[in-house]
Amino acid sequence: MYFQKKRCIAMLLAGGQGSRLKVLTEKTAKPAVPFGGKYRIIDFPLSNCVNSGIDTVGILTQYQPLELNEYIGNGQPWGLNKTHSCAQVLPPYERHDKKSGWYKGTANAIYQNIDFIDRFDPDYVIVLSGDHIYKMDYAAMVAYHEANGASCTIAVRDVPLEEASRFGILNTNPDNTIYEFEEKPKQPKSTNASMGIYVFTWSVLREALIADEDNPDSSNDFGKNIIPSLLNAGHKLMAYNFKGYWKDVGTIDSLWEANMDLLGKDPAFDIHGDEHTKIFARNNALPSSYIDETAKTVNCFIAEGSVVYGTVRHSVISTGCNIGKNAVVEDSVVMPGVVIESGAIVRHAILGENSRVCRNAVVGGAFGPKEKKKISVTSKGAVVAENTALLPGEML
Amino acid sequence: MNVMGIIFTNDATLGELTNKRTMASIPFGGRYRQVDFALSNLTIAGIKHIGIISRHNYQSLMNHIGDGEEWGLELGEGGLEYLTPYSMSTSATYRGKLESLYSAMDFLSYGDKDEYVIMIDSSVSCNIDLNEVLSSHIASGKDVTVVAKAGIANGVKPIDLAVKLNKNGEVADLAVDYAASEEYLASMDTYVVSKKWLIKRVNEYIAHNLYHMDRDLILGGWQRGDVSVNVFQFGGVALYNESVAEYFANSMSLLDKDIRMDLFVNNHPIYTKVRDRVPSYYGESCRIENCVVADGCILNGNAKHSILFRQVTIAEGAHVEDCVIMNEAVIGEGAELKNVILDKNVTIRPGSRVIGTKESPVIIKRGEIV
Repeated sequence: MYFQKKRCIAMLLAGGQGSRLKVLTEKTAKPAVPFGGKYRIIDFPLSNCVNSGIDTVGILTQYQPLELNEYIGNGQPWGLNKTHSCAQVLPPYERHDKKSGWYKGTANAIYQNIDFIDRFDPDYVIVLSGDHIYKMDYAAMVAYHEANGASCTIAVRDVPLEEASRFGILNTNPDNTIYEFEEKPKQPKSTNASMGIYVFTWSVLREALIADEDNPDSSNDFGKNIIPSLLNAGHKLMAYNFKGYWKDVGTIDSLWEANMDLLGKDPAFDIHGDEHTKIFARNNALPSSYIDETAKTVNCFIAEGSVVYGTVRHSVISTGCNIGKNAVVEDSVVMPGVVIESGAIVRHAILGENSRVCRNAVVGGAFGPKEKKKISVTSKGAVVAENTALLPGEML
Repeated sequence: MNVMGIIFTNDATLGELTNKRTMASIPFGGRYRQVDFALSNLTIAGIKHIGIISRHNYQSLMNHIGDGEEWGLELGEGGLEYLTPYSMSTSATYRGKLESLYSAMDFLSYGDKDEYVIMIDSSVSCNIDLNEVLSSHIASGKDVTVVAKAGIANGVKPIDLAVKLNKNGEVADLAVDYAASEEYLASMDTYVVSKKWLIKRVNEYIAHNLYHMDRDLILGGWQRGDVSVNVFQFGGVALYNESVAEYFANSMSLLDKDIRMDLFVNNHPIYTKVRDRVPSYYGESCRIENCVVADGCILNGNAKHSILFRQVTIAEGAHVEDCVIMNEAVIGEGAELKNVILDKNVTIRPGSRVIGTKESPVIIKRGEIV
């Protein structure tokens, strides 16, 4: 079989459990968690690839892969199903030498798929995670990597100094070369937080992965092992500054916040884009939405196939939802297929796919602007019974 | 059962709305084009060999359907084929459906798998199980099955093919282009025939200078005792979009829950071209009441009793009532629209007022700035 040589291919790490998303990832891998009304988290890195001219994407899956595999399918929604393009799902597999098995760490996941990458003989490999919401032109980052003759380029964003100890921090020289990587430093020396987006020169990474695999003490992780070992070996590592919106949606709070960031007249994250920056998603064939005369819709997203009879304020309503008469939904993320029956009240909540809030039930509560918000969450298919309450911060 | 489908895209009857497109590509219901119904009905029934016969203005239609991916089709022989005048064997245009079928004989006689042909027009929107129609056709043993709907004929509206049944459900009378009374059923311009029979009849009729399907083949053949006709009565919602007034009224009928559910939800899905638009955004100051809203809209003004297509922008203080607003309209601050159909890409300047009537809505042409 003939494989077209690629300048750059992407490897998307999509195997994490996302345990901090709790009930939302009980049955779904994190990258398949719904976002923004009609998307799933993985649509963002996948669409960024397509918009950056990267047409070959390996997707490393491990935890709860069924829904994610189904969603990716043949890659058609992203245009990754052509003769020389692909969205290839790469699950862990058994090998004759028993050297493989579950992916032990992020670096091991790539190591186990060296054969897949070699087919395309790429100059560069971009390693991405499946749990970030952002729009980024990877082509510009690859061009920067190439122009600097780097072995590895890591995307960084500026974070407030007081928060820097929560991130992997890259300490750089004035020319943006990296001299040190510190994971969650107590005394951060810089505010360059790694975004978990790496461009590698493939020949360098290939060698490093093989060496790392031979080291029994390694935890086979990019941040902990590969990056420090490249630094030690004297390779040139560059930081690539990214200024746009970026959010790790690995927790209930950050997932809720990122959804809210879509709203408002000048949203923190403007998801609308032109032909080169739009986000693609697998579409369900749903009709237009219907907004009844009894409905009130204020500062909200409402996706196709939804029917609204009640009040929606400052919320994201996903595809195929039904919001009954006199129901009130405020400051909430309502995932696809949710039914909120008449008279129910939902505030500061994330309602998981196909969950149901029955008549006159109450989910969540209201908080002052400075108060810490406790988000209530329903899992996929959960039912909040008639006239019952799911308290602020509770999960069902 | 191997069945092929033929979709006739029909000539323009919607005035300015069909200046630059066929009936098949008329936008409908916020996200759809008229042809989506025929295509979805065929493909859901498992039919993958489909020809689209178009006489002119087929560019917007081809843009919409593309390679048929959204409907699970593949372009090419044995799959989806566009039968434009240039791809046909004889005349550049044709006078009737039989002549167009004669011109598309290569397509019609391709392969030896297909036993039946389902032919559908593009002016009726419905969600129909065509396998049920096919079973009725086979069980009847008749030459042609016509799908027809009661309650459409009213003594005023001209019916393409009006059908009266006797007590036993057999055809008692047929009439063409006739303002038939209520006792008649109206053909939905959907027919089932056997492929062999159709090829034989098309050759025969064209040789005798007969080219009109309803008039020459069905009515004429039936009168001569040459063609036997089975009628399948359709019980669901069927919207006939044959004039601007009908199109306007049918669009508004989608505000009725039962009609919307019947067309889009209760039965099989209706597929359309995916555009990857963002969900619609409802601003702080908007008031949206009793509206069908597609994706990608940005709504800061007011809309009442209207159909809003994809990517419609309504600015603060604008007021839209009883309107059909097609894709990508921009309605400026304080503008007022009532009983208006805005074709695609129309810009309404801030403060403008356009008022039509229910019976004759104002149509603003594609791309205009008012």
